[in-house]
Order: sequence, then C-alpha cells, then structure tokens
Amino acid sequence: MAFACGAAPLEGTAGVSGRPFCDPDWRAVVGARARISRRRTRSLRREFAQRLLLCAGGLAATHVVGGPGTEYADGAVVKVPVDCIRNFSIIAHIDHGKSTLADQLLLKTGTVSTREMQAQFLDTNDIERERGITIKLNTARMKYKAEDGKVYALNLIDTPGHVDFSYEVSRSLAACEGALLVVDAAQGVEAQTLANVYLALENDLEIIPVLNKIDLPGADPERVMKEIEDVIGLDASDALLVSAKAGIGIEALLEAIVKRLPAPKNRVSERLRALIYDSYYDDYRGVVCQFRVVDGEIKPKDSIQLMNTGRQYQIDEIGVLAPNQVKVDSLYAGEVGYLAASIKQVADARVGDTITLTKTRADEALPGYKEPQPMVYCGLFPTDSDQYQAMRTALGKLQLNDAALSYEPENSSAMGFGFRCGFLGLLHMEIVQERLEREYGIDLIITAPSVVYRCRVAGGEERIVSNPAELPEPVAREAILEPFCRMEMIVPKDFVGPVMELASDRRGEYQKMQYLTEDRVTLVYILPLAEVITDFFDQLKSRTRGYASMEYSLLDYRVGDLVKLEIKINQEVVEPLATIVHKDSAYEVGQALVTKLKEVIPRQQFRIPIQAAIGSRIISSQAISALRKDVLAKCYGGDISRKKKLLKKQAAGKKRMKTMGKVQVPQDAFMAILKVSKGGD
Amino acid sequence: MAAPPRLGCAPLALAPRADSALRALRASSRGQAASLTSSGPIGDHVGTVPGAERSQAKSADEPRLGAASRDAPASAYVHLPFCKRRCFYCDFPVRAVGDDAGTPAVQDAMSKYVDLVCAEIDANVRLGSRPLQTVFFGGGTPSLTAPGLLERILASLRRKLGIAHGAEISMEADPGTFDAVKLRAYLDLGVSRFSVGVQAFQEELLRGGGRSHSLADVRRAIEDMHAVAPPSWSLDLISGLPFSTPAAWEESLRMAVEAQPHHVSVYDLQVEEGTPFGHWYSPGQSPLPSDATSSAMYVMASETLRSSGYEHYEVSNYAKPGHQCRHNLTYWTRRQCYAFGLGAASYLMGRRFRRPAKMAAYRKWVHSLQGEAVPMGGQPKESLRDQMEEELMLRLRLREGLDLMQFENEFGAAAREAVVGVLAHFVDRGLVEVDAPCHKSLLSGGVRQAGERVRLTDPSGWLVSNDIISDLFVALPD
Repeated sequence: MAFACGAAPLEGTAGVSGRPFCDPDWRAVVGARARISRRRTRSLRREFAQRLLLCAGGLAATHVVGGPGTEYADGAVVKVPVDCIRNFSIIAHIDHGKSTLADQLLLKTGTVSTREMQAQFLDTNDIERERGITIKLNTARMKYKAEDGKVYALNLIDTPGHVDFSYEVSRSLAACEGALLVVDAAQGVEAQTLANVYLALENDLEIIPVLNKIDLPGADPERVMKEIEDVIGLDASDALLVSAKAGIGIEALLEAIVKRLPAPKNRVSERLRALIYDSYYDDYRGVVCQFRVVDGEIKPKDSIQLMNTGRQYQIDEIGVLAPNQVKVDSLYAGEVGYLAASIKQVADARVGDTITLTKTRADEALPGYKEPQPMVYCGLFPTDSDQYQAMRTALGKLQLNDAALSYEPENSSAMGFGFRCGFLGLLHMEIVQERLEREYGIDLIITAPSVVYRCRVAGGEERIVSNPAELPEPVAREAILEPFCRMEMIVPKDFVGPVMELASDRRGEYQKMQYLTEDRVTLVYILPLAEVITDFFDQLKSRTRGYASMEYSLLDYRVGDLVKLEIKINQEVVEPLATIVHKDSAYEVGQALVTKLKEVIPRQQFRIPIQAAIGSRIISSQAISALRKDVLAKCYGGDISRKKKLLKKQAAGKKRMKTMGKVQVPQDAFMAILKVSKGGD
Repeated sequence: MAAPPRLGCAPLALAPRADSALRALRASSRGQAASLTSSGPIGDHVGTVPGAERSQAKSADEPRLGAASRDAPASAYVHLPFCKRRCFYCDFPVRAVGDDAGTPAVQDAMSKYVDLVCAEIDANVRLGSRPLQTVFFGGGTPSLTAPGLLERILASLRRKLGIAHGAEISMEADPGTFDAVKLRAYLDLGVSRFSVGVQAFQEELLRGGGRSHSLADVRRAIEDMHAVAPPSWSLDLISGLPFSTPAAWEESLRMAVEAQPHHVSVYDLQVEEGTPFGHWYSPGQSPLPSDATSSAMYVMASETLRSSGYEHYEVSNYAKPGHQCRHNLTYWTRRQCYAFGLGAASYLMGRRFRRPAKMAAYRKWVHSLQGEAVPMGGQPKESLRDQMEEELMLRLRLREGLDLMQFENEFGAAAREAVVGVLAHFVDRGLVEVDAPCHKSLLSGGVRQAGERVRLTDPSGWLVSNDIISDLFVALPD
C-alpha cells in the first residue's frame, strides 16, 4: 500500500524518539522545481568559493569559554572557528548506501568505535529493526583533523527519507552548506535522488557527487557519471569513487568535505537567529530541538523566543550531538546543536521555526516556515472499546511529538468509538498506527485512507470531506473537487509503454516525456492524488520490474465526475468501506472490491452476500458461502501444543475483527480498496 | 450404486430441551458462588449423559478423571518411527527403511533405536507410585518391530514405571507388516489392542496416498485379526483422500463395518506443509474433495457407524461399548502422560515437552540425560490460561463434553461465564447441546448443579469445532 516505497512498506520511519526522520531512502517532494542549468550550478560554485574566502578567519581564536579551542567530553568535542565548520547532508536513493556511508564517516573520524556502532547505533527501535532499516542518528558532530593540520567540526545532518516528510527534508537541507550526492555506481540516478538534488540546489548547497558500491561487479562509474551530468547538470568529473561497505575511498571523501564544501558564513555578530530542523519530545526535559545557528550566538542561560509561534522559554541546556549529547557553553553562527527549555509539546517548537533572543529580538524570522497540512485521513478504532480512553491518551502523547498529526473523535454505528486522524501521507499514517499498537498496546481497526475532497454545495459553499461516508447526498451537492498532483517518473525506455498505460488508467494527464540518457526517460503526468495513494507505486514497480522510480507533489484541486461507492455486507451498508471513485471506474472498482472482500472475509457459518452500490443501484454482488468444515481431525499427545497454536491463531485473527451486524470483518477488509487494482491487470 | 451423501444434522434428541437448559445455564452463571462452597470437586463419573456410557474396563486403581491433571501419570506413549516408506500425507517423525524390514542393517538400526528408548526410560523418574494403566506404541509402523525388541521396551517400562494388571497396551499395526504368528507373539507380551491402519478399501486410493500396502494386504490383515481375536482392535480409515468419492467412501465405511472391529477411527485428511500432498494439493480443491463433499463424508461416517452400534465418542473415533481407547482418553481429559522416543511429547508436572524429532538430535539428547530426571526441556509450567484453553479444546472433542461445574472449580466463575456466554449462541443453531442431571434443576435457576454439561453436537457442531473453540478462546478472561 505504501506508494513511495516498494519492498519495505515502512522505510523512513520513526526515529529514536519516534519522530520520523532519516533513513536510507531519500525522497522528497520536488514540487514544480525549475531545472537548474549547468551554467547556474557553475556560477553557484564560484559564489561559494568566494564566500569561502570571505569566511576564512572566522571567530577570533581567543580562548573564550565556549569559544574556539574549548574542549568537551574529554576532548571528543572541540570548538573550532567558523571557517573550520562543515555542515552537510547525504542525499541518496534507498539502498544506495546512505546509512553505511554515514557509519563509515563516524568510524573513520573516530567519533564512534566499531563496538559502539554495533551496540548502540545499529540497535534502534523495534520498528526499524524489523523493517530492516537502520536509523542511527539524526545529527552527528565529528572531529576531523585534516591533511592541512587543522581540526574541523563536521556536522552530518540526517534527513527524513520519505515524501511525507519533504518539508522536514527541506528544513534540514536549509541547515547545511553542502551535500553528498550518493549514487549507486551500478543503478544510477533515481527520481527521489533527483528530487532531493533539486531541493539541495534550491537551498544553494554545494554538492559532491559520490559513486558508491564501486567494488561490486555491476558497477559502471563512467555511465553513472555521465548520467549525473546529463540528468542533474552537475559536473561529475571529480566525483568520488567509494565503497562504503568495504571502506574504500572514505579518507578522500573526508578531505573533499573539508576542501570542497564551503564553511558557514561568519555572522556571529548579528542578532540570534537559529533554524529548528528537528524536534522531539523527551519525557524528562520536554521538547528537545535541534537547530542550526544562522546568526549570532546562543548560551545556556538565554531567554529565547520562537518567532512563528511567539512562545518564550528559558533555556535549560544546550549542547551538541557527537553523536551523544554533550553540553556546551555556547553555540555560535555556523554551529548546529540541541536545546532543551521545558517546552511542553512539539507543536510549540515546530520544525522550520526561528529561535531568537527575547532581549535582542531579530527583525525577521528565517524564511520557509510552514504549518503542517494533513493530506490523508483515516479512521482509527480500538478493537476493544474499553481501550478508547487509553487511545485518546496515546494520541495526545504522540501529538506532543508530532505536530503534523491531527485527530478528532469519530463515532460510527458500525465501528463504535474511535478517531478520525489526519496525516502527512501514508507512511506517516503507518508510523502512527504502529506506535499506537506497539508502544501503547492498542489493537486497532484502521479504515481505508482517503484524500481530502471538497464538496461544493448549493449556495457555493465548499465543504471539506475527509471521510467518504460524510459526503453530502447527490441532491445537495453541486460538484466534488479532488486534489491533483504532479508526478515525475524515471523509467527505462523499454517500459515507457506500460507506464504510460498505468498513468492513463489512473486518470493521468500526460505532461511531457524526456530522454535523460539513451535508455532512461522521465515521464511527467498530472493525476489525482487519490489514484496515487492506492497501489500506484506497487503497480509502477511491477510493470517496470522494479526499475522505475517516482516522485510527486501536490498541485491543486479540480472538479471531478465522482460518486460515492458503498458496500453492503449481509444487506447492511458498512460505512467505513464507503469510497469516493470516478464515475467511469465505479463499476470496475465495485467489482474488484467485492471480489477482494470475498477473499479476505473468512467464511462464517452462514452465507454472506456482499454488494457494491451507488445510491440505491447495486452494481456488483457476490456471496461468501457458508463454512462447511473447520475441524482438526487428529489431536493426540504430540499434536496438542501445535493444534492449540492453530486455534490460538484463529482466535487472534477473530480478536482483530469488527462485527458488522452478524458478520465478523477482519482488518484486511477495510484496506481492501487499496489492494484493488484499477485498470490494467 | 451408492446413495448420495446425506447432509444436515443428525436428529437432535436434546433440541426441545435446549432452550430451557440454556436459560438455566445463563441463570446459573449469574448465580451466587455461595452454592459452590458446599459442593466440592466433582468427578466425572457421570452416567447421566445420554449416550456417554463410560464402559471401558476399569481396574481398581484407575484415576478419577476429574482430578486428572493433579493425579500421578499412569500412561506412556512410545514412538517407534520405522516405516517401509513415508506416506504422501505423513508429517510424523518417521524413518523409512524400505520394503524389507528383515535385513540385518534394518534390524540393527531398530535394535539400536530400542536401546536408546530403553536408555531414555531408565533415565526417567517415576512420578507417584501408580503403575501404568495404558501404554501406546505409535509410529511409524510399530508392527515392523520384532516382538523381541518390543519385549525389551515393555520390560524397561515394567521395571521403571510398573504396568498394572489389566492395563491397555495398544500398538499401531499396518497391513502387510504382520501375520497371525506375529500378532500372537505381541499378545503374549501383553499387547491388548491393535490399531490397524487400513485407511481405504480402494486399491487406487491406497496407491494415491503412498501407502505401502495393497487391498489384498488389508483383507489378510482383517483375517488375521479375526484369527487371533485380540481383546480389542481398531480399524483406521482416512476420509477425503485425493480422488475419493462419496461412493468410494460409502464402500469403505461398509467394508469397515463388515470387518467387525471393536473400534473405528476416521480421520479427515489433513494436508500438511512439507509433505508431498502439501506440494501437490490444496484443501478443498480437486482432486481433493470440496469442503461440502468432505463434510458430507464426515456426516456419512457418523451416521453409518453409529447405526452399526459404534458410539461416536470423539471427533474422529468410534467404539463399541467397552472399547474406547483408554490411552487416547488420557490426552483428551488432560491427564499426565509419559512419552518416550523420537519426537514424542510428554505431559508431566504441567509441562508439555516434545523430544527431538531428528534421530541424531534425539540420540544426543538421550545421551545427555543425567541420571533420573523428568525431562521438560527447560519449559515453564503451563499457565492457567493455557490449561483452560486446552481443557476446552480437548474436552469439546469428546461426546461426553465439558463438565461446567468441574470447569468452574478449576478455572473460576468468570471463565465459566465466558464459556456459557459463547456457547449459548450456538445452541439455537444446533451446534451445541446442553444437559443437566435432572430436569428439575433446569428450572430451579441460580443454583449450579453438578453434572451440567455442554458438548458440541454430532456431527454439525464437531464439523465447525475450530470456529466454536476459537470463539471461546477470544471470550476467555485474561
């Protein structure tokens, strides 16, 4: 169901404290980004070079406490002049080796020992471990003595790896001067890589192309370099060749970071402005914000104000992440660090907000701040109604840490008491669900996600419809509007046909096609978001044998010829299964949905008719035949444990079902709409 | 030609009473626990349940079933894994030795295995002082074992655990692996019951199941049974084999009845993962019979055998009066049981423990046994919840059903209430029967009576027993 992640449905997931961030996948909304020409890139680079010269010198090297030269944590952290700071991110497609490369940088700089790496950083939370993704840290300050004999502070700022969190990605990139563009030397550039590169260029970052996995047999650095030049317009002639896994080329990379990435501007004398690029809730200290000091200096006893929320706080503690928290006495322009100030919830210190001093307030906040806007809604209901209160408490706690999560009580006759929740996207939704289940022990029934529709009713009023069941009756509505997005796909040329077919099946409107290289093509479509959040990405993968990648961004709302499709189980309308579909595909979707429901609803001791209807018109009807036989023939001494397990499994499945009338309906049924393939196969 | 299978429920003798019984049950589960204190633990010598005669031979020291799990173990299972070949549906720990089990190499392997089993028995500790009431040699094909080898195992058991006079000693025997002489030798060793794996009366079905015997072997086996006339013997059938038809099934049932065994087991084929059948077939899909057909076959078996004088005393087992398998009843009444041999599972001191199922691992394990101990593989004792679930899952396999008073005494009023609450739904649908010892108590309300029982109906309730039992699991209090 995950639309922008194939194999692992929840890659790019919750971090140490559960907020979504950094993972090997690396995608972000690219928006309608202007293509950056090679010329402009070059001019950018010249500008950086000049800036670098200007910054040389940085802070005076006098030994002020907290100033350059001050050591912390037994010398593990050394404050350096501004011109010896490098702030950078790693941009990489999933599986192109971002995490492994980050590990290598930490190891080679001695920031983390091999033993610690194993014990601490690979051993993160359950969700990550199970999904086979490793999220190590979000920021790491590394002490590196370069060939020029100077000690540098390298700040690796990690970023969320998923389209749902593109805003957070953009803020993290805004905290950097440079980025490592890691591309698999065999696979080449992917759509997500591209999107993030545009984002990085938009933030004026210097980019070092890094070809990873050069030791693998399929590696073809020449071809990939050409691709980087052709597709992105970056000069790849000085790309670094590394193998993060084998530890090849890491020293050269560290030198390149020092030599090729610009130092931050020395604006220490300005009024404080620091950009929050990440924040999470800590049970003991309140919200811990990670930030980049852009202007001025911040100290532990400072009184601060957040310029967008307007809230004021007294700082309890500031420090750096090395990668463990190390308290410091000062953080000045160019540095990144964290602060704790007894902030009660993440919504009070949001990503993108600007920290300034109460006394000497800056005139203007840093640009780019945005309020989160839920894109996808679904109903979350406890399977056991006794857990409703516990769920309310849990959602409240999650919201402390997740400013983008919205929820309000929902009460349906079919599902009982629960909540209608809004999310940034499907991954965000999955993370919240998993955390509710694992960390708070709440068994959930989740209804199919829906995009936010707008319904124009008589009198020109527009109603927001985030729950298909609440769509006004046909007589009352004048038009239904749905969100559209711009979709960019990179596809091997042999698969262009099937991909175009997929896009047009999903009501896609062709925009353009362009050859990136001889055998790779970029396809741009505009299509309804609702068509994307189902199985679009799965379909794209399967039609291109996994070789395509995609990226999309929300565009606008458009009027569509849409209808409400309802499902009846055993003659009763099941509200949570209602869905809004295009009129032309209603029949097909109804058929497929009924067939799917027939598959996922277990047979019961009576016959169960399942029907799809538009208004009073039944468009599809099937029935689940009655259960005839469900018995364990043998059960002797050796079988008892095994047979009991089977029965327990059956019972566990039933526990997760909701009873609709007389019929027990499993969780899968509520997600059936996502599994229904529209068009094509 | 065979008559078409008859579907639907057997007549429910208790149906008219179901309603009032249900009311009484609900009332009693709301009733005060006070009545409990006056009525101590109740055994399950019932006699009040229609059709549930407990008529098997009882020796003087047979345990009271009600206090089963707390009584000392008096049953032992011994696994003899050797087979001529592995049947296509079999997922038991089995060693295939080829068609000739008489070769020195095979005899040597069997002898070494018996040594291991004897060593295991010797290393076991005897719990309590009661001698074994039942012994069961299962397999594999125990009838491949030379009587001399079996004798050694029985001698070990006798020495270590004692075997009561009149104990039931059962062994599985497959057609084609024994003759009358061999059977008599087993009888002389004390074996009192044979369970003959006939499986089908159609040559093509036998072949299709990968059985090592022919229809002629089956005929000879039955003749031999009649010739030696053991105290008890069972004829085992498998329903739902690939390519089987209702007509073939009716024929098998008729031939089974004509063979006049004391006991018939009818197992619906279970397609297990990792077996050839698991690779070839999917349940309910051709050439396996559809669910509708195989449930009809179940109904046919129940009707045919019951009308021929067999009591359907367990989901898959039928017996003439006095011939229920006492050993298997220990499992279904959750009594303790020793177990020896490859992959054998014991239930001792509240722990279910399965021995290694691979020969090398089993050998290593036996050699690691230090002196006398109760092997339980480091397992914790079963939780009350586990015991409760097993009690339901096992007791509801029996015609005798679940004694509610006894269940409440062991697991509490809330558990009883949950069970009654779920089962009540199934009474109207004819899947569950309720009865109480005297009609009057049904109307008295509020007072729990000894002997109140619930059971799944035969055949309708049993056919969907997993569905009902898993509902019970869901409803049980934590």
